[in-house]
Amino acid sequence: MPQVRIIAKNFMDMVASLPAMKLDRLYANPFICQAILRSLPPLAKKYVLEMLYIDGPVSAKMLEEWVLADGSSKHRIALDRLIQLRIFTETVDRKKETSYRLNPTFQINLRKHLIDREVLPREPMPSNIVARLPSLEELEAYALGQWECFLLQLINSTQAEKLTNFSSSMMKVFQRGLLSQREKEASRLTESGFQFLLMDTNAQLWYIIREYISNSEERDIDPADLISFLLELSFHITGEAYNMNTLTEIQRHMIKDLADLGLIKLQQGRKESWFIPTKLATNLSVSLTDSSSRKQGFVVVETNFRLYAYSSSKLHCEILRLFSRIEYQLPNLFVGAITKESLYNAFENGITAEQIISFLQQNAHPRVAERIPSVPENVADQIRLWESDLNRVEMTPAHLYDEFPSRDVFEAACDFAREWCGLLWEDSKKMRMVVKAEIHMHMREFLRGQK
Amino acid sequence: MVNATKGLFISCDIPMAQFIINLNSSLPASQKFIIHVMDSTHLFVQPHVSEMIRSAIADFRDQNSYEKPN
Repeated sequence: MPQVRIIAKNFMDMVASLPAMKLDRLYANPFICQAILRSLPPLAKKYVLEMLYIDGPVSAKMLEEWVLADGSSKHRIALDRLIQLRIFTETVDRKKETSYRLNPTFQINLRKHLIDREVLPREPMPSNIVARLPSLEELEAYALGQWECFLLQLINSTQAEKLTNFSSSMMKVFQRGLLSQREKEASRLTESGFQFLLMDTNAQLWYIIREYISNSEERDIDPADLISFLLELSFHITGEAYNMNTLTEIQRHMIKDLADLGLIKLQQGRKESWFIPTKLATNLSVSLTDSSSRKQGFVVVETNFRLYAYSSSKLHCEILRLFSRIEYQLPNLFVGAITKESLYNAFENGITAEQIISFLQQNAHPRVAERIPSVPENVADQIRLWESDLNRVEMTPAHLYDEFPSRDVFEAACDFAREWCGLLWEDSKKMRMVVKAEIHMHMREFLRGQK
Repeated sequence: MVNATKGLFISCDIPMAQFIINLNSSLPASQKFIIHVMDSTHLFVQPHVSEMIRSAIADFRDQNSYEKPN
């Protein structure tokens, strides 16, 4: 099966790809400097902090002395990252010596942040004005509900109860790559679409936000503004209310879209209106590999291949239908079975066994989550066996060469094919060899030259 | 002069190889597709038969499955 993976790249990769002028503007905001510092690999963080109070350039040789010999690859990675984000500027002087110095805007702002802890441009509103603040659990439930509603609409399910406020052109942008957009027929999920559904919420959120930001230029909104607002948002306190009048026009526009995604909850009082960031928003600047907030799992897989999903969410039902056969649907429970046919269906749609197994493991019900492994071994093994059963035969287009005039020519041809990594089979007794079709032309040239 | 034959190189396990050889012998002489049997797990066949072999294997696989009626 072709292995196509959509990589939900880190937010910081997208920041790094902004043009130089915009990056410099971003660094004028001390919160962004801090968020970017947090996202750097550990060695890069150390370099930034060491160079924070050094005003002149530091030679590359001196930087290398800070690392032991076996850390040189990490050193290279850290340096590349810093140069990519334009935090370090590299200069080569006349003696061909490289030196680095810290980006001055970044440096000044980080120093300021270190000394006087910057205050957000807005304060949480006092509780006497803000009545009926939702509790943290309610907020989390609200965020998840909004996100699910958005996802259901995204995969074009007729089961979506209420539609979000995104215009249909925005939805089309999000669906690009995930759904096959055909004019007359109903759109079907593509291979990447299936993989997208099985990713965990953080990764999905990143993907959507990235699409949203890349699309913003077409709507005349500067992506740097969006990015700086999103990073600022991640420093707010979950569950606290912030007044809407502290936002600029552009930010107000963004807030409405973010509310549809479940990052913000909007509320209105008698005179004022405010927004409340949810956990989804405050987790934004945390990198992808940090999965600290594990939402509650809901799937129990038994050794007899039966599946019990304690959820009433339609989205979960759709996802489970991707690879299992749902048999009963009760008010708070889906009962199903993992069968060979349902798995073959999934494999045909481009989902791999590993994705299914990791989805089941990540969403395991708390009752079985402590058990190691959370998915029974025989089920996991059987899923992998069924997948490999589809790949029993490997076919490669190739050419068979025989009737070599002499053994030397044969040996030379074998070595030649081996250099091009195209030798599939050789039989020295019968002087026959099979070579991949891609290098047939080269082989022909070589053999002609041998005459 | 070296002779080059275009085809498909098949690499599989022993039962599958036997299955393909059996499929080949059940066809009339004009449609036989195996050019060489290299060893018990490798075959060299004519290039256009890949789809036919795959669908034959899929049929063979489906003969063994039972779907509970809904």
